[in-house]
Amino acid sequence: MTGNNNRGVLFKEHSDYQFIDAKVNSNTLVIGGGIAGIQASLEVANAGYQVYLVEKSGTIGGHMAMFDKTFPTLDCAACILTPKMVEVGQNPNIKLMTLSEVKEVRGAPGNFKVKIEMKTRRVDIATCIGCGICTEKCPARAPSEFDAGISQRKAIYIPFPQAVPNKYLVDKDSCTYFKTGKCRVCEKVCPAGSVKLDDKDSEIEIEVGNIIVATGFKPFDPARAEQFGYGRYKNVLAPLQFERLINASGPTAGQIKMQTQDKKGKWVYSTDGNEPESVAIIHCVGSRDHNYNKHCSRVCCMYSLKFAHLIKEKLPNAEVFEYYIDMRAFGKGYEEFYQRIKEEGVHIIRGRTAKVEEAGNRLKIRSEDILAGKLIEQNVDMVILSAGLEPRENAKNIAGMLDVSSDETGWLTEVNDKSAPFVSNRPGIYLAGTCQGPKDIPDSVAQASAAAAVVLQSIGSGKIKKYVADTTATSL
Amino acid sequence: MNDIRIEPKLKEKLEAFGLADNNLCFNCGNCTAVCGLTERDLTFPRKGIRHLQLGMSEKVNQSVEPWLCYYCGDCSKTCPREANPAEQMMSLRRYLTSVYDWTGLSFKFYTSKLWELGALLFVGAIVLGLFGLYHATSAEPIIWDLRDGYVHLNSFAPVMYVHYADWVMAGILSFFLLSNLFNMYLTIMRSDKSLKIPLHLYFTKIFSIPLHFATQMRFKKCDNKIGFWFMHLFLMSGYGFMFILVLVLLPWFQIDQGINWTTYPGYYATFALLYGSIYCIIGRLRKKDEVHRYTHPSDWIFLIMLFLTTLTGIMVHVFRYYLLMPAATYYTYAIHLAIAVPMLVVEVPFSKWAHLAFRPFAMYFADIKKAALAIKK
Repeated sequence: MTGNNNRGVLFKEHSDYQFIDAKVNSNTLVIGGGIAGIQASLEVANAGYQVYLVEKSGTIGGHMAMFDKTFPTLDCAACILTPKMVEVGQNPNIKLMTLSEVKEVRGAPGNFKVKIEMKTRRVDIATCIGCGICTEKCPARAPSEFDAGISQRKAIYIPFPQAVPNKYLVDKDSCTYFKTGKCRVCEKVCPAGSVKLDDKDSEIEIEVGNIIVATGFKPFDPARAEQFGYGRYKNVLAPLQFERLINASGPTAGQIKMQTQDKKGKWVYSTDGNEPESVAIIHCVGSRDHNYNKHCSRVCCMYSLKFAHLIKEKLPNAEVFEYYIDMRAFGKGYEEFYQRIKEEGVHIIRGRTAKVEEAGNRLKIRSEDILAGKLIEQNVDMVILSAGLEPRENAKNIAGMLDVSSDETGWLTEVNDKSAPFVSNRPGIYLAGTCQGPKDIPDSVAQASAAAAVVLQSIGSGKIKKYVADTTATSL
Repeated sequence: MNDIRIEPKLKEKLEAFGLADNNLCFNCGNCTAVCGLTERDLTFPRKGIRHLQLGMSEKVNQSVEPWLCYYCGDCSKTCPREANPAEQMMSLRRYLTSVYDWTGLSFKFYTSKLWELGALLFVGAIVLGLFGLYHATSAEPIIWDLRDGYVHLNSFAPVMYVHYADWVMAGILSFFLLSNLFNMYLTIMRSDKSLKIPLHLYFTKIFSIPLHFATQMRFKKCDNKIGFWFMHLFLMSGYGFMFILVLVLLPWFQIDQGINWTTYPGYYATFALLYGSIYCIIGRLRKKDEVHRYTHPSDWIFLIMLFLTTLTGIMVHVFRYYLLMPAATYYTYAIHLAIAVPMLVVEVPFSKWAHLAFRPFAMYFADIKKAALAIKK
């Protein structure tokens, strides 16, 4: 293995990369507008180069936008994220394409030709003044994606108040007009004439030199683990639902409430509900489990401890029980956070919960306290299932389209897990965030910046960095 | 406090008893919590698996918990590590059977197919030998024709001789089984010095034994496994009826001519044994239910012997009553006994069938221990 690095110096045999001359297009494509995609886009754009940021949903922000606080510092997630989102929206070097998906990638490293399908918003971003009359008058409702299904939104809506772009969009699936052929109320009431229900999807082709993949993860659907009763019993929550429940902009204005019946008799989370006196948090739901996912999802222990803290903060008299298998507080400040939560009086029990059953108005959970060797049967008011992280359903398709490798689970694989943990096996394509494997916010951000650094290196040198797969490392 | 002795090779030792990879378990406790039979102070399967991982052979030997499991398989189905706790419990039961057995034969039978088959053949040969010996020394001739229109089975195997031989066999069987039971008592109840057990509990809890023996009511507590419980009870009732017919009522059961009141329970027992053994054989071939997924050689041998015993029993009946074939009746009868007797002698005290005694006694011991713990508190 010999060759020249970009300064013309013969590189050593143990280097794991080489530079290939290419006419590198200075535009960069970033796929995915979560925290990793946002970070990568800003790094490249701030260096003065054009970025295309393609986001599937109607707003950037990703999962982080749904979080209430971040561990271990308990900073408000939105306070960290939303300024970055605004920056993306305002940066002239970033061409943001929401409701868009990459359909095809052709060409060679340095000169990719990318076909992007842009679904119509049915609202003209340029003229919409954001007055909100359309939403007010819209008769159709659907579960809010942003509130993880614990509140309702209209068919024409802004995903959340800080969305970027902060413009309305029409959800075809829940819209009365698209279901019945009648309605069009939003079009009639719009003072700017911006609602265009008959707009069609479009497709464009762009040319880029490098691609950063930041397509993120999918939360494990706890309904798949039937033994925990999610979707069947009241007050059994998925983690993102609890994030929204405890968030000041959520359906209970941040108060921790149990489900209550609304006027129509439907069970909803609202400020009228009762406060839970006891909450159980069950770790490793869908993770470290051969029936679902073998991997550890890395973040669940910490967000579970965060939940325990937030409950104790808002309801000091509530009893909180954490049922865990192994406590993984591996990051900087995480172990200290764990000890702090213990001191706050949270009951932390080693043992996996096997089932959740309904017991009158309460929930009965059954676990073994491993350290005491005793069986525990306990009634609580609320159960939070700490569901893990999974690759997106279409992760394999994304890998196939980009011609990068992915592992058996579906995580995109890095070319070298030590020296190039954010580089795909295909030159010119880099990985950032949870598309490569479960990780927390600091790691996602660090990886995004690293990917941006290599992209900028490529643009600056006019060369493509080609990593040589590590043949000495044994496969996991 | 006694020293705890560690037997590092314990896991390897149990592999011959059907234990697969014991290290897969990461001790999350799911199996214990999902189990409908586990109780606050008597938790399983995880504890037993842990003791195996650590090589704590004394704890394993003293444990009563493996016998409390009826193998519904929920733990294996939901185990996040596919560590198969239910089969680990089954392996422990096999192993414990060999621990209680002071002769060492159980260990040989479980760990070597050759030993088990050899023992079956050996006892079978003795049975055939006894037939030969009887006819070589007896003055009574075998009636080979259909004199008076019926098969004279009692001229080939006079019922009273068979009856006495049954008692001798039952005596041998009981001796081994009861001595192994006593050994079980010593292992479970006498070796654990930490718990003082008041003597009166042995009397007040004695009803546990017939109760669990006859009803297997704990099986019903296994979630959604009423079908298996019924099947097991049905099979066992067939076995029970047949046992009484052969051991107590043989002079009425084995008559040469006509039918009498013993015939109907005989039919019931035959049907139960046939249905039960075929059900289990098909189940183990299909491997659909958790309880039938893993089969140790001793399970196959037991099931096949049970099936063959039933089948040859039916054949004797058909040859004798319906086809009126004396020679076929006699030979099948000899083969029938040459299968049934070794099955009972080998399986009841030393192998799979020993659970008929160990299980109810384990529940008895468990009840005593629980009561003693309650008194202590």
